Formats: sequence, structure tokens, C-alpha cells
Amino acid sequence: MKNIKRKELIFNILNIFAIFLWALLLFKYWFTGELNLLIHPNYFILVLVSSIILFLLSIANIIQLIIYNQRNYNRNNSANNQYSKLLPKGWASSLLSFVAILGLITKPMVLSSQTAMQRGVIDSLPPTTLETQSFLTQTSPEKRSLIEWVRTLNAYPEPDTYTGQPANITGFVVHFDHLPDNYIYLSRFVLTCCAVDAYPVGILVELPKSRNNFPVDSWLEIQGIMKTEILPRLDSFPSIETKDKRQLVLKAKEVKVIPTPKNPYDY
Amino acid sequence: MTQIYSAFTLFTSLLVEAMPFLLIGVLLSSSLIFFMDENTLITKLPKNPFFGAIIGSIFGFFFPVCECGNVPVARQFLLKGLPTSVAISFLLAAPAVNPIVLWSTYVAFRGQPHIVWLRITFSLIIAITIGCIFSFQSDPRPLLKPILAKRLTVLMNINEAEKSCPKQTKVKEYSLLQSGSFILGEEGKTIKMDENLLTTKNTNNIKISGWQKWDLFINNVQIELRELGGILILGSAIAASIQVFVPREIILNLGQDTITSIVAMMILAAVVSICSTVDSFFVLSFASTFTTGSLVAFLVFGPMIDIKGIGLMLSIFKPKMIIYLTAIAAQLTFIFTLSYSYLF
Repeated sequence: MKNIKRKELIFNILNIFAIFLWALLLFKYWFTGELNLLIHPNYFILVLVSSIILFLLSIANIIQLIIYNQRNYNRNNSANNQYSKLLPKGWASSLLSFVAILGLITKPMVLSSQTAMQRGVIDSLPPTTLETQSFLTQTSPEKRSLIEWVRTLNAYPEPDTYTGQPANITGFVVHFDHLPDNYIYLSRFVLTCCAVDAYPVGILVELPKSRNNFPVDSWLEIQGIMKTEILPRLDSFPSIETKDKRQLVLKAKEVKVIPTPKNPYDY
Repeated sequence: MTQIYSAFTLFTSLLVEAMPFLLIGVLLSSSLIFFMDENTLITKLPKNPFFGAIIGSIFGFFFPVCECGNVPVARQFLLKGLPTSVAISFLLAAPAVNPIVLWSTYVAFRGQPHIVWLRITFSLIIAITIGCIFSFQSDPRPLLKPILAKRLTVLMNINEAEKSCPKQTKVKEYSLLQSGSFILGEEGKTIKMDENLLTTKNTNNIKISGWQKWDLFINNVQIELRELGGILILGSAIAASIQVFVPREIILNLGQDTITSIVAMMILAAVVSICSTVDSFFVLSFASTFTTGSLVAFLVFGPMIDIKGIGLMLSIFKPKMIIYLTAIAAQLTFIFTLSYSYLF
């Protein structure tokens, strides 16, 4: 009898521990800004509120446990008995705790060019933002971010429109083997909900020297002038014959290596 | 190593996004313990399975939960003894047919409002159809996990006892010289010992104090969160690993014509396991390369069946039942979206 009670107590403490760890994890993501690497800012407040609720829940559970132990009250967990043994007893809490601890000690990864290649680079940007698609004629070209450039390009796909315009964009480096040696694809991920659905967009850049000076995934700030060139297509599905296509290219004048931004994604 | 790291990042991102919604669902389902008087509700529900299914699928409007939150609520419905058709159609329709999801779909597809209408219509028809199909099984217990079934048996017995329990007749003053056994009641009254006394009193309606209610509520939240959270972790882990180790192009390359594009989008919806409140934004990125029919297939099938959700559903149903649900939902989605592609 005593053994059973001890076991129960250990399980209960493990449950409370798991819930508390999750509250801590969600709070840590919110507090350190690592949420930027995981989900869209729309959900930040939801994560914070969940974290607070989980904290309260773990406190309530501790109070319950103390009261039960004082009163020597035998818990009749009807809800406990309703749950099928999908996971053996104690497994769910252990899994939750294990993942929370892993999350607490590691930092989420910034999605890299490998993910970009895997998700298929596309030239066009679907209208996923909730902002209205203004034509951005008010923004001067050198103030446009990379995403704004792609957006504008979607509205007016003709590359010649932009020839001679100055640009100043930041993104990470992606190498395409089928492009000439001094070309890179400067890319950024757009997030709609969470890192799972991030997809890459970007602009071709003609560098003053070989791309091997700029390793894959390094972040660059590039200033230059836009021009039109005929280059192989990027969205090379194996099924499609790679054809040349007139594309907008940024001819780089100044290339600066920058650290990975705190918020590498755009929305 | 990088692959594992990136898989772990996707996995935490799925979890961090799903946890708040699961929490909402669990809080909602636990609060049903107090705010839903099952007896009045069950008597008010139409007996006809078709209407029951319609009502179940409309419940989603009042319980705006996505596919992580609807499972605990549907479980609670079944435990409260609601008809199977109501619970199943709620389970299938709620994630797609609720105000938040419809609003986000409308925002995403502002230029194509017909996608919103198709999503509502197909989701409702499929949910109601499947609800009706399973209503032929008037006793849901064979479909449920054994433990849930046992619990339901207990509840049913209580209800049965209640129905068969004869109304308390007025205690008659007994004259002397009567045959029978008597016991001495309060205030010196004699009470005749008969079946009336021996039937078990219905313990279902005993008033529980506020404190006990809270106690029950917190307990329930903790247990559901723990169990479903554990399963959510497994589901998200599978979904994230598939995403990292199977290039998305393999799925998308299937989608070269009308038929295969629908199949590809349905597989993608099941694999990506993205929350229904935001799946419209996700699927927008394929709007340029895929047909409207296949986009709708993604939006209809994804909220009903996905890898993350199947794990959660296993807390209610036997695996056999989930195979039925998946197969029927997939077939109906396929038929509807294909007809749409060919007819319009």
C-alpha cells in the first residue's frame, strides 16, 4: 500500500514537473526572442498566455498534491481511468519533460540554404502577407528590403522596368551550380505560420569576384544597381528542361559580410 | 547532424504552434464537465442521425478549436453520452468550419472567395456523411478504445438506472397488521423494506461543491494535457522528420495533372500537419503551380486527417476506426474536388 502511494506521488511530481518545464520553455522562447525563429509574430501573445496558464496550472497541481497528502485523501481519478494506455504510465510526462529540457538547452536553428534548396526555390512570391499589396512606388528603390523587391517584381514582372535602379538588400547566400561562377542567389525565408511552412524567396546577384569567397549560408548586405540578364531558370524541377530566362540581377558594387540577424525571417 | 538539428527545429516549431491550441481545447473540454448538463442536452438533441450530424458539425462554430483542440472536446462529448454521429461530425468539421479558420481562409484567398465556399461546403458534406455512416452503429463502444468504452458503459448504466428507477412514491403511513419487513426510520417512522429501498440511488446528480469542481477541473486539465501532449510530441516528431528527410519535391512532382495534383496535395496536407487556422496561407504558396481543385483538397482533407492529429485521435478510437475515417474522408475529398475540377 505504502509502495503504491509512493509510486503515485512520484508520478504526480513528474507530471507537475513536465507542465512546469513547458511553461518555462514557452516563456524562454518568448523572452529571448527565439520565437522569431519558430513562429509568426501573430502567435507570440498566444505563446506567452499559454506559458502563464501552464505556470498557474503547475502551481494549482502542487497545492492539490499538498492538500491530498495532508488529508491522506485517496484520489479517485476518473479522468485518469478514462485514458487508454496509448502511452505506458509515466511515458507522456517523461516525453514532455525530455523535449522541454532539450528545448531549454538548445537554440533553434536558423533555416539554411539546404532547406531552401529542399523546399524548391521559386521566383515568385505568393501574396501571403496580410498587408495590402501596395505597389510600393512611394518607397525609394534603395530602401526596399529583399522581400519588397520580390513583391514589386511580382506586381510588375518585367525586369527592364528596374534597370539602373539602386538597391541595398540583405539575405543569406545560396549557391547554384548551374549559374556562372560569380553569381549567387541572395535569399530570405518568408514565414506564414511557423518554421514548417517557411519558403525561400530571393534575388540573383552578380558578384565582383568568384562566389567561393562567400560561403553558403553566410549573411551579406549588398549594394548595387539592378540590371536584366538572360540566365538559366532557378526553379529547376527535374522534370522541366532548364531553360534560359530573362531575369532581374543585382550587380553588386559593395558586399559586406554581416552577422545573422536576430530576426532572420520576413513575413 | 545539420539535418537532425533542422528536424528538431521544425519539430519544436510545430509544437510551440500547436501547444497553445491544444491547451485551449483541453481547457474547453474540461470546462464542459461543469457547464454542460448532459441530461438536458441529450434530450434536446434530435434523435435523427442526419440532424444529429448537422448539429455536430455546426458545434464547431461555438467551439472554435483547430485539429489539436477538437480531440479532447469530442472525447468529452462521447463521455457525456452524446450520439456518435454528433461527436464524429464535430471531430471532422470543427477544425475547418469555424469562424477563425474561415476568416483566415478568406484573408488568404481574398481574390478567390469561391475557395472559402468550397471549403465550407465540402467539409460540411463530408463530416455529415461520415457522421451518418457511423450512426448506423448506435452503440459506439466497439469503435472506441476499451477504457473509454468501459467508462461509457458505466455512464450508460447510470442513465439506464435513472430511467428504470421508479419515481419516489409518497411514503404511506402503514397501518398495523401488514405483512412485510419494516425498519425504523427517522422520527420513529416505520419504513417498509422493499425494492424501492434497495435500488441504488442515482449518484450522478449529487451536488459537488465549488472547491471539488475546481479540483476535478484542474485534474482533468492536467491529465488531458499530459496524455495528449505526449502524443502530440510523437506526431510532430514524425511529421517533422518526414519533412526534413523526404524532399518536398518528391510529393510535388506527383502533381503534374488534375488527378495526381489532388492526390499530391492530400498527401502533403497529411504530412505537413499544419494547424487549420493557418493552412490557407501555407497552401497559397502553391496557388501558382496547382489547380484550385487540389488546393481545396488540401484545405478540406488536412484539418480532418493529418499525422499529428491521427496520434491524438488514437486516444479516442481504435486504429481500425481511424483507418475507416481516413479512407472515407480521403475518398470523398478526392471525388468532390475532382468533380469540381472537371465540371468548372
